[in-house]
Amino acid sequence: MELLPQAMIDGFLIGGIYITIAIGFSLAYGVMHIIDFAVGEWIMLGAFLGYYLNLWTALDPFFLLPAIFLVFALIGYLVQPLVYRVISGKKGNPVLMGLVFTFGLALMFRGLALTSFGFYSHSIPSTISQNSYFLNMSGVFITIPYVRLAGLLYALAITLVLHFVLKKTNFGRAVRALAQHREASGLMGINAKRISSYVYGIYVGLSAMTGVIIGCIFTINAQMGGDYTVLAFFIVVLAGMGYLAGVPWAAFLLGLVQSFFLIYLNPSYTLMAVFVILFTILLISPKGLFGRGV
Amino acid sequence: MSRKYLLLILAFGILLAVPSVIQDTFFLRIITEAILWIGLAISWDVLAGYTGYLNFGHGAFFGVGAYTTALLMNLCGCPFFVALPVAGVVAGIVALIAGIPTLRLKGAYFAIATWALARAVQQVALVMDITGGPDGMRLPTYLHPGFFYYLMLGVVAGIFALYWFLLEKAPFGLKVKAIREDDQSAMSLGLNPTKIKLQAFILSAIPAGILGAIYAYWITYIDPASVLGDLVTDQAVVMAVFGGLGTLIGPAIGAIIIFSFKTYFWAYLSNYQVLYLIILGGVIAAGVVFLPNGIWGTISGYLQTRRTLKQEPVVQEKTDKGAHHV
Repeated sequence: MELLPQAMIDGFLIGGIYITIAIGFSLAYGVMHIIDFAVGEWIMLGAFLGYYLNLWTALDPFFLLPAIFLVFALIGYLVQPLVYRVISGKKGNPVLMGLVFTFGLALMFRGLALTSFGFYSHSIPSTISQNSYFLNMSGVFITIPYVRLAGLLYALAITLVLHFVLKKTNFGRAVRALAQHREASGLMGINAKRISSYVYGIYVGLSAMTGVIIGCIFTINAQMGGDYTVLAFFIVVLAGMGYLAGVPWAAFLLGLVQSFFLIYLNPSYTLMAVFVILFTILLISPKGLFGRGV
Repeated sequence: MSRKYLLLILAFGILLAVPSVIQDTFFLRIITEAILWIGLAISWDVLAGYTGYLNFGHGAFFGVGAYTTALLMNLCGCPFFVALPVAGVVAGIVALIAGIPTLRLKGAYFAIATWALARAVQQVALVMDITGGPDGMRLPTYLHPGFFYYLMLGVVAGIFALYWFLLEKAPFGLKVKAIREDDQSAMSLGLNPTKIKLQAFILSAIPAGILGAIYAYWITYIDPASVLGDLVTDQAVVMAVFGGLGTLIGPAIGAIIIFSFKTYFWAYLSNYQVLYLIILGGVIAAGVVFLPNGIWGTISGYLQTRRTLKQEPVVQEKTDKGAHHV
């Protein structure tokens, strides 16, 4: 029982990171109706850019985040027209073709990363958040590593900024309109192509930044993409496809599941547990925990 | 149409004669594996091309078949021909269990769930003691290249014929295509989409399990990376997409081209597997953008256009034979 508070705190802290993984993914799905199989690979590429920038400039990874966001937002902005062309094609089944296309992209990125970065694991050292905070509450010891706390704060900040942008700005209004009804928003003068490009850019940038945070907390290697893709899917399905407000709760749930398996059971079975939960949720409530997905 | 049959029978006849002509066991082995990939590509295409559901965990069924065979032969000393059908049945049961919740939903959920299933199955094989964990399992050795060649050829030809009958000749093909095009309308015509999708899924999983069983006995050593890894699914997807979704000949052509390329690449150009991954991904992505109908779809589309242009009066082509049986 002494470990229970620690397990819950750990889960909560990890869950924060998962919010940022899934929120961009869910946004891209809501607007473009594309399931991006490359989400984990964007995270991995972002993590490696952070790793090398950290080596070259010796700046703290948390200060590098804006630069990484900009670089990857640009990449996403430039890749999006290709995706758009695939999913708005006339031939065959465009949605499935979009899936196949991003699946191909993911394979290519993984291959490129394995070729250029090798098979070794790295971690990104963050000097400003090296220590941990020890809490002693009447005999119950809780350790809170600062880096995880920083990760959670980062995730909350991103969520708040995104919430503000979506609810209060004209751009956000356009994004929500596009997600609601594509044709009608087009009639109101919203340029679907451009907005989709921006959204995809934001999504890729967010995923890449999250990769850097993951590099600070855990380790990174060129093969990690697939694991994070599974986790992103898990959260988004749990929250309900395209339902942004459900993402944080699903992410915290995943964090708790993971930390409980880590502490009480065999961590090797985490993926199996994730799949069983996913399976049960799909069986009972296919539209996510809140029944609000598409 | 009869010319197509003649060509297929001719191809089968040539393949039957191969072992007596080619004495080199290395080439025989390569052709055997090419046939294996034809089987995997067409079985993937049953669900992807015909039914419109992407199964990104096809390798899981292959691996389940391989592991079932290995476990049966090692633990209870079953003869191979007992283990072979059991492997197919087990793969079918896994498909049934995984399909019930996921096939009721839109395609994207299914793609995700099968992908997660494949990773979960691989994880299970990695951590269990009975499967040997990451070390994999050894099977009783039976070194007879000709036997495996004919077994593989017979099984894949059987799968091909079964699919050909079910999907091109029998009403079942029309049903799955109706669901692919619009499952709401299909439902309004009295079809049960979930049931038919489930049937198609099982129909695609059982051959994968059987091929996995043959592969395991043939290679005599399996481990989670080789039979449950992503590469099995990835290659099947590339072959089907590159060859042409929604046909049986397309994925077979794709399988032959991609597999020949892979063999040539690994044997002569580079032994660096990772480069192959880049090429696979590039082929999928470029194929989707530039050749959405695949090689076979493009060729047959071109031929059909030319044929239609030649005929002066426009004749409605009888594509839906057997529609009245539905």
